[in-house]
Amino acid sequence: MTAYILRRMVSAIAVMAMVGIFVFLLIRLAPGDPAAIIAGRNASEEIIAGIREHLGLNQPLPVQFLHWLSAIFHGDFGTSIFSGRPALELLVQRLEPTLSLSLLTLTLSVTVGVCFGILAAWRAGGVVDRLLLVFSALGYSVPVFVIGYFLVYLLAFSAGWLPVQGYVPISEGIGSWFIHLILPTVTLSVPYIAFVARIARTSMLEVLTEDYMRTAAAKGASPYAMLFHHALKNAGVPILTVIGISFAYLIGGVVLTETVFNIPGIGRLVVDAISSRDYPIIQSVLILTSGLYVLINLAVDLAYTLIDPRIRY
Amino acid sequence: MMTISRRNLLKQGIAVGTALSFPSVLRAQAAASNARTVRWVQQLSLRVFDPLLTSDDTTSMHALAIYDTLFAVDLKGIPQPQMVDKWGVSDDKKTYTFELRDGLNFHDGSSVTAADCVASIRRWGQADAGGKTIMERTKDISIVDGRTFMIVLTEPSPLLISSLASPAGFFLAIMREKDASQAPTEPVTSNIGSGPFKYNEALTKPGTSWVYDRNENYVPRQEVPDGYAGGKVVNVDRVIWDNIADQQTAFAALQAGEVDFLLQPAFDLLPVLEKDPNLELEVLNKAGVSMFLRMNCLQPPFDNVKARQAILHLIDQEAVMRAAGFDPRYITPVTSIFGNNTPYTNDENTGWYKKGGDPERARQLLKEAGYSGETVVILQATDWPEASNAAQYLADTLRRIGVKVELAPSDWGGLTKRRANKGPVEDGGWSIFVSDWSDSNLGDPLKVPVLPANGEGAWFGWPKSDEYEALRAKWADVDTLEERQALARKMQRLSWDFVGTAMLGNYVVPTARRKSLTGLVSVSTVVLPMWNMRKVSG
Repeated sequence: MTAYILRRMVSAIAVMAMVGIFVFLLIRLAPGDPAAIIAGRNASEEIIAGIREHLGLNQPLPVQFLHWLSAIFHGDFGTSIFSGRPALELLVQRLEPTLSLSLLTLTLSVTVGVCFGILAAWRAGGVVDRLLLVFSALGYSVPVFVIGYFLVYLLAFSAGWLPVQGYVPISEGIGSWFIHLILPTVTLSVPYIAFVARIARTSMLEVLTEDYMRTAAAKGASPYAMLFHHALKNAGVPILTVIGISFAYLIGGVVLTETVFNIPGIGRLVVDAISSRDYPIIQSVLILTSGLYVLINLAVDLAYTLIDPRIRY
Repeated sequence: MMTISRRNLLKQGIAVGTALSFPSVLRAQAAASNARTVRWVQQLSLRVFDPLLTSDDTTSMHALAIYDTLFAVDLKGIPQPQMVDKWGVSDDKKTYTFELRDGLNFHDGSSVTAADCVASIRRWGQADAGGKTIMERTKDISIVDGRTFMIVLTEPSPLLISSLASPAGFFLAIMREKDASQAPTEPVTSNIGSGPFKYNEALTKPGTSWVYDRNENYVPRQEVPDGYAGGKVVNVDRVIWDNIADQQTAFAALQAGEVDFLLQPAFDLLPVLEKDPNLELEVLNKAGVSMFLRMNCLQPPFDNVKARQAILHLIDQEAVMRAAGFDPRYITPVTSIFGNNTPYTNDENTGWYKKGGDPERARQLLKEAGYSGETVVILQATDWPEASNAAQYLADTLRRIGVKVELAPSDWGGLTKRRANKGPVEDGGWSIFVSDWSDSNLGDPLKVPVLPANGEGAWFGWPKSDEYEALRAKWADVDTLEERQALARKMQRLSWDFVGTAMLGNYVVPTARRKSLTGLVSVSTVVLPMWNMRKVSG
């Protein structure tokens, strides 16, 4: 097991390095010039050239790459071209809102999605199953921003129960933090609930038709015991896989929700950085996100062994 | 004894969560009503702090809040003393002496001295086009005493005071000597000025919100505020700029009372805003912004003057501005190269305008220009909706008269890179792009880059007219307003013949605010001051 984890960690570093090189080249070959953006919409060529020189952007690409690589090896992810702050500092500053939103969304999605899936499988073909099918189809197909605007109108603007936008750090009060995250969490959860519910239903349906389930029923096991003790454990591997994938997608997929609800997270950071060609920020976010993806996948793989003893590494 | 079961844990968790959350619900609703804090939706990110590094409006607004200026223009564009108490000029009009007023201190507690002013002027003189013109005529800038300094010119320059006061381009913000000693391409990030607001870096969240606290030590002038001039009295404790990227969210936040002010509400939301009894629309930038297009004068077909004249005849300004998405109530046509609202606005050689929206004349001129099906590439900034829409409309209009047009969509960052390419379109060049400029700034041909026509040394598009440039060179030497107005007419006569720029129209964007926010100062550019406003109950 330890050797397996170590191997995966090494592969994580390799993946991050490849992502880094790819991103470095991609963003520099893409159209756009941070110096021109700094100088403003109507700046002269002379001013733009001066800024470009100051930032070292007029140096050949290989030289810029070597500078960047050398800094990375010293743990320096660079400094934001615009704010002048270290990229890692900005990243850490934006991590809390994104992680908060992602974890709350994951918790809500998994809890509700798995329950819906179990319920639908248990009552397969019935009214509940069909209603959940409709919810899943809608939840997965309606764009997140439509759900967001609808909820804002309903619960924040009309009812006045919740704030329209913004984020309060957890250090300023868990209540305010939670209140500000209710609407974004519910908004972002809808498609994931739909997704998890569909997978959970399918997995449970497969397990519920197994011989040992019939045996359990014949022995007089209660529906609760059958569903949660016997079926859910065996249906868990595909559900866990989906949860792992969902979390990875969540980290990258919060951009729209962060924009609609004005949450200062990683999503908005990277979108702003891309639009202003803030190279160090883009590189740092993508490298660290890729590392996070690998770690999440590793965590999911390890979690398999907990719910299915037959799996060994 | 109570056992810890999952069910009990869940129950207790919900109970604690609810208890903690309820006061917060109330707090969330009450947060915006903090009477001494203004939540100001900027809708753009403050990316650069140094006002001499960029002409970006958000940076200029930041600088206007934290730095003070020697002079400032009033709403009529007339320079008035701001940090300066007394000033005078020698009989030969070559030596200007300036004395600072009492009570000027930087946010770090140090006094503003003549040395700070001299260093700031020198740095500004390297970055700003108007400043460079002044520096070319400057023999010496010297410190007389702690509060007095002199500028000695080689020849009289009637524009010195208006250049020092001008909000166009890079405005002259007075910084500490040690900050102003940096090269203009090296950003000043200390954010320590002597202005009416102090930048609160500790509470600022880069990219999302910027915090400005009232400078309690600031001594305002006694005059009433008038444009950028007059007393800068701050009536609130704090202003927080929120960068709410989504217009709909910003609008909902304003309606819900979570924010007090929207700098640029989307035009399609204006009818809804007008119906809300708690909100008010107000045009604070009285002069508006002039939108224009630049043609690449180095490459076919616009290397031929007749092709450029064809564009003048083709454009129906009202149609373009409507297509761009502006509210018809907030647009006006522009026929002068000096904009609509400057002392030099005039109607010389504007006969073409009466024939605007004349495709037949445009087609005829293109034929005379020998247009033979060359591809016209229009750069389209998709992250700037109005310019993007205007580009699409222009493409369609040109196609209707038989021009082969390609749109080159990119974000503004991509456009800025491509517009520097002087080569043919086959090598990544371009033919047309759309931009805009604060109308009131168009009255300064020494500072505004769209007005020079010195060929490859000119701004993107590179128009060339030696005759026009000879007239422009006289601008700084002309003594009186009347003489400059006469010169402006001559320049315009030539300009509409060689056509370096084609105007698309002038627009103003009303700001939206809650009625509880009052006293905002009207100015003549998009750079709005934050002083004088106050929050009233209700």
